[in-house]
Parts: sequence; C-alpha cells; structure tokens
Amino acid sequence: MRLNLRGALGTTTCCDGCPHNGYGMNIFRKEKKEKSIIAIKEQRAAYVFLIPAFLGLSLITYLPLLAALIVGFTDLTVFMLVRGEAPSFVGLENFRFIFTNPSINFLNSIYVTIYFALFAIISSVIYSMFIAVLLNRKMPGRTFLRAVFYIPYILPSAAVMISWFFLLRYEGGLVNYILVNMGFDRVHFLSSADTVIPALVMIAVWTCGNLIVIFLAGLQNVPRVYMEAAEVDGANFWQRFWRITIPCMTPIIFFNMLMSLVVNLQVVVPALAVTSGGPGQSTMFMTYLLYHFGPRTGQYAFASAMAFVFFLISALLAAVIFLTSKSWIFYEGDDK
Amino acid sequence: MKKVSKIIALLCTAALMFGLVACADSGSGSGAEGSDREVQLTFSMWGEVAEYESTKVALAEFNESQDRIWVTALHLGSQEEYAERLLIMSTGDDMPDTGMVDERTAIGWAREGLLLMYDIYAGQPSRPKDGITFKDRGQTVAYSVASEVLALWFNKDMFDDAGIPHPPTRIEDAWTWDEFIEVARQLTFDSNGNNPGDAGFDANNIVQYGAYINQWAWQLEVWALSNGGRWYSEDGTAIVFDAAAIEGMQKVYDLHLVHQVAPFNPAQQDSGWHDSLGAGNVAMASEGQWAVGFTSGSDINYGVGVLPYMERPANITAGGPVGIFSQTDHPQEAAEFLRWYSNPENNWGPIEYGWWMPNMMNWFTEEALLQRWIDDAPHRARLPASSFRTAVADVAINTDVTHPTGWYYTPNTDAIDRILIPALVEAANGTKTVQQVIDEVRPALVAALAG
Repeated sequence: MRLNLRGALGTTTCCDGCPHNGYGMNIFRKEKKEKSIIAIKEQRAAYVFLIPAFLGLSLITYLPLLAALIVGFTDLTVFMLVRGEAPSFVGLENFRFIFTNPSINFLNSIYVTIYFALFAIISSVIYSMFIAVLLNRKMPGRTFLRAVFYIPYILPSAAVMISWFFLLRYEGGLVNYILVNMGFDRVHFLSSADTVIPALVMIAVWTCGNLIVIFLAGLQNVPRVYMEAAEVDGANFWQRFWRITIPCMTPIIFFNMLMSLVVNLQVVVPALAVTSGGPGQSTMFMTYLLYHFGPRTGQYAFASAMAFVFFLISALLAAVIFLTSKSWIFYEGDDK
Repeated sequence: MKKVSKIIALLCTAALMFGLVACADSGSGSGAEGSDREVQLTFSMWGEVAEYESTKVALAEFNESQDRIWVTALHLGSQEEYAERLLIMSTGDDMPDTGMVDERTAIGWAREGLLLMYDIYAGQPSRPKDGITFKDRGQTVAYSVASEVLALWFNKDMFDDAGIPHPPTRIEDAWTWDEFIEVARQLTFDSNGNNPGDAGFDANNIVQYGAYINQWAWQLEVWALSNGGRWYSEDGTAIVFDAAAIEGMQKVYDLHLVHQVAPFNPAQQDSGWHDSLGAGNVAMASEGQWAVGFTSGSDINYGVGVLPYMERPANITAGGPVGIFSQTDHPQEAAEFLRWYSNPENNWGPIEYGWWMPNMMNWFTEEALLQRWIDDAPHRARLPASSFRTAVADVAINTDVTHPTGWYYTPNTDAIDRILIPALVEAANGTKTVQQVIDEVRPALVAALAG
C-alpha cells in the first residue's frame, strides 16, 4: 500500500482510489517500511533509556495512584497496619461517609475549594496578563521590574502566607493600621467568612509571577507584522490589543489557566498556616481535609476516597477548559 | 586527554568510595554507643533544638546511672508534625519505644492500640499528683511529665501607674468577672488616654488593653467550667456544651466585642504571651504557669495572681504526657525509664527555669521541696515566690477548683478542635453568638467525638 502524494496541499490517492486532502487522515496510515539497522538500534536505545523514567513514574506516581484508588474502597487505617489487620472491601461506604458525616462536611469543602480556585484563576490570569502587557513595553528599569514581579513566586509559600497574615491581621496589621489612619474602620481580612477568600485570592494573585513570565514570552511572539498592519490601518491601542494581541495569546491564556487550575485546586497552605479552615468552614479546603484524614490521623480509607473525588473534580474542571478551548483558542492559520 | 579524563574519573570514584566508607564508619560509631547494653530504647520528642539538647543531657545521665538500659533521643520536629511522623513510622513497625505523646491524640491512640495502656506507677510507692493522668474509661494511658495550671499574669508597672491594686493571689480573694472587667476597663486606654465607656473613646486606636484571655481551645474550657458548665461529660463519652458553658465563652468574647477591654485574638491567631504581656501593651493575661519561662530575661515587671471567676473559681490542669508505644519489645524497661525521666530530680532544668511544675504530689506539700522549686528558683522568686505559691501551687492541688482539661479523658479532641477552632472565630468577630456557633457545629462535634 503506497500513498501517492502530489504536493503538500494537493490531492492524494491511495490504492483504493479515494481522493484525500494532503493533510487528510490517510496520510497517517502506517506503511510497512523496511527499517535500517541504525534506526532499529536507535529505537532500542530509546526504549532502554526510557526504562528508568518509566519505572520511576510507575512506582512513584501511577502505582500509588492506583493504590489510593483501591484503598478508597476499603476500611484501611494506619492502626490496622500497626495491628496487622487486613483491610476489608467496603464498596462505596467511604464515599457515603465523607458525603454524609457532619464532622467532615465534604460538600462544603468542595464548594469552597472550587470557589477559591475559580476566583484565583480568573484573577491571576487577568492580573498577570495586565502586568505582562505593561512589562512588555520599552521603559527604563524593565528588567528590574520583571524580577520584582517574579520574586513572590519563588518565595516559600508558608513564609508568604505568614507574612501576609501579619500584614492583614485585625490587631496590629499594617493594612488595618493604614486604614484606621485614613479614617476607615478595621477589616477582618482573614477572620471573616465574607472576606477571607477574596483576601486569599489576592495573595494567590500576588504570587503568580510565573504566569507573568509565560505571558511575557507569549507577547514577544505576537507577530509584529500584524501590529504594523493594524497601525497602518489606524487601529488604536485597544483595538490592537483586543483584535490582535488577545487572539494571538489565547493558546498562552489556555496554558496559564490550566496551570493555575492545577495549583489553586491544591490550595492548602493558607488553611495550614493561618486560617485552620475558618472562619466557620470558609477555608476548609479539600486538601486540608485530606491532610487531616491522611497524614495527620491515619484514616487512609477516608483520605483516599476524598482524593478520588478530588481527582474527579480536577479532571472535570480541566476537561471543561479543554472542551471549551476549541471555541476560543486561535491558532495561526486557523479558520476562526 | 582521554588519559587525563580517566584519571579524574578514577580519583572521583575513589573519593566517593572513601566518603561512603567514612560515612559508614561514623554511622556505626554512633550506633555502637551503648550497644553493649542489654536493652536499647528510643525516646521520641518534639520541640526546639535547645530542648532536644537538654533532653540528650538528661538521657546521658540516665544512661550513666545504670548499666542495663541505653536510651537514645529521637527528635521529630515540631508538635504539629510529631503525630504524623510517628504514624508514618508505625506503618514500618519502626516506632520508638517511648516518647512524648500529643495530648489531643493520647486517648485515641491508646484505643487504637498504638499506645500501650500501661500504668508506669502501678505498685510504686510515689505517685503523680491528681489530675494529670490520661485515662480511657478508667484505664491509665499516660501521665503528664509536668503539672501545669493557668494563672492571671499582669504587668505591675501598668497597675502602679494607674493606681490600681494588684490582682488577688489567693483563690478565696479572686475577682468576680464583673470586678475583672472593671479593672480591665480602667487599664484600657486609647491614644488620647480615654477608657472604654468614656466620651470620645476610639476603639480603633487602643494603645493599651486591660485584659487578654488566651483563646486556645483547651484554655477556653476553663471559662465554661467557671460559669458552671461543661464541654464534655465527665466520662468523656458525650459532647455537652450546655447553656452555662456557652454563656461563659460568650463572656470571654464580649471582653472584646462589648466591653472593648481585650484585643481580637481568636484561637488560630492567638500567639498567647508574645501578643499580650510580652508585647508590653496588655495589663493582664491568662496564661499557663509555664509563662514563668517567658518572664526570664524580660525588662517587664511581671506579677502573678489567680484567675477571676464567673460562677465559681475554676482552673484546669495540663501538661504534655509521655507514654509507651505499642511496638516496643521492652515495655517494662520503657516504664522504668519514664519513671526516671518524670522524676523532678532528673529533669530539673525545665522546672528550675519555669517551664514545668513538678508532677509529684509531695513537691506541693513538703516545705523543703516547695522552697527548692519556688523560692530558690529566681524567675518564680521575683514574682514574688509567695504570690506564686498561693496563686499557682496551691491552686494546682486544689481539686475543688482545678479539673483535668478535656483531653485527659476525651478521645478525638484533635478532630473536635479541627471543627471548633475555626467555627469559634465567627463568635470572636461578632458575626454570630457562641450559641449560634455551637448550635451549628454540635452535630459535627458529636460525630467527631464518635470518631
């Protein structure tokens, strides 16, 4: 079976005589080629070199993932391991427990986690895009400013959270001190259920220097020719931004949203370092509950069931971003 | 060039091998310490590096005091990560023989078989004082290595400057809650020198607070008791949080919300001493007797008195326990070591410095011993010692007043705290009343207690 390729965009004809576009599916049909000895050796070498990484991934990532999934359907606790007892299969009992036991209130945890994550994703992407556009302009001290905006990202997250706690605390916090001196009342930034999530989102946004760097890289790849053409046509800054920059940046926005989703769904440091899940249950994030039931108290079956639900929710949200991306991501040469 | 590369590679390999051998030697050297002893024990602990070093000194004394048992200290970081590290070790059958136990997990771990229910003082002539024994349904689990109670600490200079008599130091003279609020009001000033209730008082610019009640969950319990209520049933099997307990807690939050004499310090933001008396802007603070340790090296002129009361004088005992972990092969030797370790004579440093009070009853009743750990300990002596004796030592052995805090007899207080601490922030900030908060979380507390 041989393809008759006539030009990059020309019509191709395979042995059954069906015409196909040059980039059509049939071009991917496998042909039986005789491979050279060198190619075979290279292929074998590639497999050999992949073995350590594959084993590492399997043993450290995929097997524990599988184990966690299985444990979620048993009654395993750390104490059973100590007593040498074998876990029993309990079906969906752990899932029923975590969704119905009032001491867990798992539905609330799902809600506050998603609320925080979506709020943080949207805010981070808008903020980092805005800063990146500013930092992309030619101005004195640009390199210094880029470093300034990136540094929060590389600071230890617990240290960042505790520092912000001291800035935002009700008693003796710098921000409240400034507010009072400006004639306002003090605000319970981290100690009110109404303000704690916005305050934590603000901190998350402050630390999104990585997104800024990625946006900067993307901005520098926006074809200059489009900008020049638009300028010649008399487009102002906003028109160029909305009609050229944003469409050209949509693949980068997509990537940053995905990365931001992964990071913000796993939020746990604020609860561990500052809020203890409160006020009320307003920051009782899923990962905080996971920590409590897993490493903290050794109730591995409940923790695994939570982790499984967490995985499903993460996958669902990622899928939503992937599926909707087709309608808003523009690639160069795309028909849209 | 190739030869040079080979030589460098050989040298690197040799250096690596030498390093490995050296490491192996040094490892076996340290491991060989005490290897001639019949029994090898490990004692796990949390705390600062200085505490670890101090513990090692104590263990060295024990190791030298006899020739059968050798104990090695195992430092597992801070208290917050201690329990989880032990749990991880337990999965590999690698737990220490004995060690400190997180108060919140003691009863639960004993029930689950991780901690032996072993009375290290069974059949012994001397026993610890009442109220510091962790018991599960009557069975002894562990003993606190120190015996602590709460007290009312104050800044003498602030009282003297305001011309107010110092807080009482005898339980029979303790202030009522209303008296306490009134003194706190007189000691609270805004930036213009106004007290709460004065015309023009600016609650946003308070420069000195009169009162600071520590709001760590287990310390709040004392105010439930003081108001005639309870958090838990006496056998630790039920959540109570009755009306009197709720009212007592509300009175504490009202110090900030209504009377404006105390700062906002909900449990998870409460740094205790460092945010109160230690910061030099609070006149009175409730804190454990261990605050004696904080007073050392400070320029602040501290004093100590008895806690005020609501309906009845009340206090709680506290103190980190030591226990025997179930994976040990040497429970008797571990008990022997723990008795030695818990003996005030053998752990004198923390007692003399002020962090601990002795755990044995005779240290509270025999004058010579009282003299030794109070009058002869400089940090307690300057309070002065007579105040400490009546405000702290006498209260600690007064069982009509002082009761074990919940974790001595209640399982799963760790899970209860996870719910209660964040929930109470909404009572502390005034969004809800304590009654509303407890009504909301009561089913969760009941479920958490059940495990």
